[in-house]
Amino acid sequence: MRLTVNGVVVEREIEPRRSLSDFLREDLALTGTHVGCEHGVCGACTVLLDGWSARACLLLAVQCDGAAVTTIEGLTPAEGLSPLQEAFRACHGLQCGFCTPGMIVLAHELLARNPAPSADEIREALAANLCMCTGYVAIVRAVARAAVARA
Amino acid sequence: MAAPWVGRALPLKEDARLVAGRGRFLDDLAPGRLLHVAMLRSPHAHARIVAIDAAAAAALPGVAAVLTGTEAAAGSRPIRPLIPTAVPVNDWCLAVDRARFVGEPVAAVAAVDRATAEDALDLIRVTWEALPAAVDAQAGARGEGPLLYPELGTNVLWHDTLTYGDVDGAFARADGVLEERFEFSRYASTPLETFGAIAEWDAGTAGYTFWTNDQRPGLTLAILAESLGVPQARIRLACPDIGGGFGNKRRPAYLLVCALLARRTGRPVKFVEDRRESLSALMQAAGGVMDLALAYRADGTLLALSVRDVTDEGKNLVSPAQHNLIKLGNIANGYRIPAVRYEAWSVLTNTCPAGANRGIGKPFMCFAIERAMALLARRLAVDPAELRLRNYVTSAEMPYTTPPGAAYDSGDYPATLRAALERFEYARRRREQVSARAAGRLLGIGIATSVEPAGTNLASYEIITGRRAASGSAEAAMVRIEPDGQVRAALGDPPSGQGYETVVAQIVADELGVRPDQVDVARGFDSATTPWLYLSGNYSNKFSVTDTGAVVGAARRVRDKLLRLAAHRLEADVADLELRDGAVAVRGVPTRRLAFRELARTAYADVLGLPPGEEPGLEARHAYQNPLAKPMDAARRVPSQLVFANAAHCCLVEVDPGTGGVKILAYAVVHDCGRELNPLIVEGMVHGSTAHGIGAALLEAFRYDERGQLLTSTFMDYLKPTALDVPAIDVGRLEHPSPYTPLGAKGVGEGGAIPAPAAVANAVEDALNSYGVTVRTLPITPEQVWRWLDSRQFNNVGSNFSESPQ
Repeated sequence: MRLTVNGVVVEREIEPRRSLSDFLREDLALTGTHVGCEHGVCGACTVLLDGWSARACLLLAVQCDGAAVTTIEGLTPAEGLSPLQEAFRACHGLQCGFCTPGMIVLAHELLARNPAPSADEIREALAANLCMCTGYVAIVRAVARAAVARA
Repeated sequence: MAAPWVGRALPLKEDARLVAGRGRFLDDLAPGRLLHVAMLRSPHAHARIVAIDAAAAAALPGVAAVLTGTEAAAGSRPIRPLIPTAVPVNDWCLAVDRARFVGEPVAAVAAVDRATAEDALDLIRVTWEALPAAVDAQAGARGEGPLLYPELGTNVLWHDTLTYGDVDGAFARADGVLEERFEFSRYASTPLETFGAIAEWDAGTAGYTFWTNDQRPGLTLAILAESLGVPQARIRLACPDIGGGFGNKRRPAYLLVCALLARRTGRPVKFVEDRRESLSALMQAAGGVMDLALAYRADGTLLALSVRDVTDEGKNLVSPAQHNLIKLGNIANGYRIPAVRYEAWSVLTNTCPAGANRGIGKPFMCFAIERAMALLARRLAVDPAELRLRNYVTSAEMPYTTPPGAAYDSGDYPATLRAALERFEYARRRREQVSARAAGRLLGIGIATSVEPAGTNLASYEIITGRRAASGSAEAAMVRIEPDGQVRAALGDPPSGQGYETVVAQIVADELGVRPDQVDVARGFDSATTPWLYLSGNYSNKFSVTDTGAVVGAARRVRDKLLRLAAHRLEADVADLELRDGAVAVRGVPTRRLAFRELARTAYADVLGLPPGEEPGLEARHAYQNPLAKPMDAARRVPSQLVFANAAHCCLVEVDPGTGGVKILAYAVVHDCGRELNPLIVEGMVHGSTAHGIGAALLEAFRYDERGQLLTSTFMDYLKPTALDVPAIDVGRLEHPSPYTPLGAKGVGEGGAIPAPAAVANAVEDALNSYGVTVRTLPITPEQVWRWLDSRQFNNVGSNFSESPQ
């Protein structure tokens, strides 16, 4: 199997039953992608698959042959943080931080497609993922702040 | 002196790594030669294990070991319960001869990866003899139903009646009595990271190392040592970043299973729950049924409260009756109720063990009281806010001790409610509600207020056992200046999202005159390096009440030593010195100063330069005990928790009669947690905690069928609130510092979760006023609403109550 992960071409022989989330975490040591439910509801494992958000726990790694996968590591600059990450930090749009990589990937996708979302649009997009800590209020603030910062 | 760092809304140190996916959680750890564990779990709520044949599983390539209950019982001792049962019962880390809930582990496999371990589970043959299941705690309280432990002769772990004041007299004199029955479903705060552990056996030192996201490492370490028969000194237990806890994350049994497999295989062993395992077998808030009677005068003054409370513990032998005791401690809420009676049952059932979950018992207690206040207001035709204002304990009465012994230390409950009403624009919304109703919309407004205790005093178990138990009202911390002058701190309480690395740095920064970014606070917990006590851990809102004291105490010891060293070297009087910018300087003479680095050099290296008799090093540990913790008195009064914050919630909902859906249109909170150490963290806690209450009110319930099968074991059927379900919660604050905490702070983690279920329920009932609906149970699902509306009974709201005094 051959795919691109965070811009790097990866070639591996793997078991057909290995999920993309296990492949990223166990085989590539990209542990920023978290696993929260393994049945596609919580979104902690959200990555970008050819630019679209996807549940890494519901994908088999072999399904991603030829695809480009972007994880939280791929959205993090070598030095410092991205504006979206800075906004999450400034607004404390997280507490335990377990959902955060998935939330940031999701928000990244939203802002890429809709650079100036309304609060309702942000909520609708974020409703794809679960956060058990924040009640979402500060996450919505963070995404709105990042949108303003980009504008 | 510069403005203190404590109190500032400082962005969090730990957030910098967490937003980058650079947190280090339990499942991110992978020691070499690691094995992965999967557990075989009971498909029956109650069944005898006749035989287990694990030979085929053990022979599967990639499997290193299989552990059955019988082997676990041979290799470890039973887990000691927090309160002993009348007859000792043995509770091992795996079910031995009988499974007592769906999902109880009966065998475990260690294999090269989780998938192989799960393959092996399919090869284990268990011969079951299904038994009738006890699923009804009410029946258990009556002495009916199958027994979980025949040797006990009952499923009732505790039954008692506690009376404080002249309850019978108050009911006899009352102008009226409100009686109602409330039910509370089981739910859980379901941290997004599931529970897990890694165990490693070191044959050379005959000791274990554990990595775990267990929230209460102190007690867990003690249980492990006792069950494994290993001295505590040979157990190292460490916690990495913890992905949420909310009380749920403790299960020493899983660590024991890993330890036994690690010892057998000689390899490190990891177990991480999957979501179904977590929902069905980790920890659920106890459900139950509460019968409440409230005696009142015609003007709405509360005279007495009588509660009969049947708590469904599931298979909980570890901390039974904890929900009961905490309900008792918070039974009066913020009200002046002179006489209280509490009759409690703690009942075993064949369901998931009940246990700690954000607020433990308080959300149910508050639900019952605040629902009763709403019903009483309606009965007396008094505004529900006004009825509460007539009954609050006032700030002038503080410190105020409730009949069962809770000590309300500070706050202004009427002011909190008034501020919330103002923030919510209560009067305007009431007017709008009238016009909306005229237009046919089902709009409702709900108010609920609560006290929110912090810190625990498990000595309250004396009510049950008659013996003083471990209190838990203490914590330990360490502050050290390293040989290079850098400041480091560690705390016995591993955070699970509360930002302690930042807040501890703020506290230490103030004490030592440095910036918070110059203070490194240890991530998590490590029993080998962190100071800790028997009940060290992350629970019960305790940071403000005990942890702050430990940090302040340790920092002050280091500060005192810095001053002594500097006084000696600068030949100055300590009284003339000040700590500023990472140095000790003579006040007013900025050139006469010694940086921490130079003082550290004296302390660690140039020890001949120490003042006579001074010990080398620049490190201090401090353990702090909160002074409010007390043992039980002769009248069986005891503070089960310590310092009290308070909050008022106002909620506007609209019910859609077509779908039965409830939408929260506005939600305002005003809370008072004393001095806010970091308002950014505090506000987040209020949001998140309130969201948990909203989930319990509208969505979440663990439902069991009559055979004890869990019907909601995934996030497809156990529904959590999403960003579309939680409104933009508007938070205001008052700050009445507690005189009984080192920094004036009070608890904040549970405050939203306590009153929110009642606030939402009161709002829905208000919205359905014209239908004569009384909300007696949660969650208020669309199906429930639709049934209410469809029943079209329009029963008289007052018909449930006896208007005459008892």
